[in-house]
Amino acid sequence: MAEVQVQEKGAKGGKVRSKKNNPRVDMTPMVDLNFLLLMFFMFTSTFSKPNVMDLGLPAKPKKDTPKPPPTEIKLSNSISLLLGKDNKIFWHQQDNTSLNDTNLNETSYDREGIRKVIEQAKANAADKTKFTVIIKPTDDAVYKNFVDIIDEMAITKSEQYGVTDVKPWEKAIYEKKVGNSGAPAAPATK
Amino acid sequence: MARIKPKRHGVVTDMTAMCDVTFLLLTFFIMTTQFKKPDVEQIKPPSSISEKLLPDASLMTINATPDGKFYFQPVENASERLELLNKMGQKYNMTFDNNEKAAFQKVQSIGVPMSQLKSYLDMPEDEQKNFKSPKGIPMDSTNQQLIDWVQQSLSVNPDYKLAIKGDVTTQYPKIKSLFEGLRDIDFLKFWLITSQEGKPND
Repeated sequence: MAEVQVQEKGAKGGKVRSKKNNPRVDMTPMVDLNFLLLMFFMFTSTFSKPNVMDLGLPAKPKKDTPKPPPTEIKLSNSISLLLGKDNKIFWHQQDNTSLNDTNLNETSYDREGIRKVIEQAKANAADKTKFTVIIKPTDDAVYKNFVDIIDEMAITKSEQYGVTDVKPWEKAIYEKKVGNSGAPAAPATK
Repeated sequence: MARIKPKRHGVVTDMTAMCDVTFLLLTFFIMTTQFKKPDVEQIKPPSSISEKLLPDASLMTINATPDGKFYFQPVENASERLELLNKMGQKYNMTFDNNEKAAFQKVQSIGVPMSQLKSYLDMPEDEQKNFKSPKGIPMDSTNQQLIDWVQQSLSVNPDYKLAIKGDVTTQYPKIKSLFEGLRDIDFLKFWLITSQEGKPND
């Protein structure tokens, strides 16, 4: 206990003694202070840890092992997302012959944009278990776009997704599209 | 007639036990807290819904700055760092004296090519902290020093984990070259450091 026991010594000769109260040490401010520090250390230790997301890359095919046959993904079961510059994102469900600048659609990264698109494509997929999202970041994309779209995969629970390079035929359309959307804007500012 | 007055006490709670407990907890938290060391360059990680926290495992970190420079942060363990430095020295035909070795054990992150590592380690500690590398660790198809750092770290201890911290505005091709390099050495599982974002309600 915190009370300090005062020894009664030489009480004989003593005259009038004041009340012998045990001096109690008031611990309350100390507890207050302790709690304050405790709070501080608790919060700093939990908040300093950043969040992480897992990323697994596919292994590169070894030179000596035979290449597996290229997996065919049916167009209706997949959706290709092109991450463009200035936080633009394009999607299509076409192949190299049918893709043109009218069916390369632009959308946005928010929940009304890309999430709806993915969910819709998933719902329309012929075989929902094989629904695959193909992510193709162009060289104009930034790291945030990439993380956002991986994140979107987690939100829409699309477990099957792949990250590949943009194919030349897509790049041509993409560049045309970006160039097109840029061209009318330029004279308008005049 | 004297009425019996009830004695008036102030209510005194004994705080001693509480004080003990708070001290115990306080000691625990003081012991376990590790303060974040200041980064050389500001990196703002993108946000994600992931709620997983960065684990405590032996962790090496690659920082990618907005302008595409790479910094490598080796694991904290001092003796393993020494081993890593030796291995990197062997690979690049460099030897380090004891001062440089000691400096390497304390260094926060490396952002210089191997050729400049010696002069970087020779700098006094204050200068090191403020030193902004003009180029970062080289990482392109011909000169993959960053991958070498990872690879040599893994050869010291294969249990190391890798976390990548990229800035919101880091250009994707830079990240891609890093990913490709990691695929080349068959190191396929790692973490991306992100900041917290609310999970959308379904």
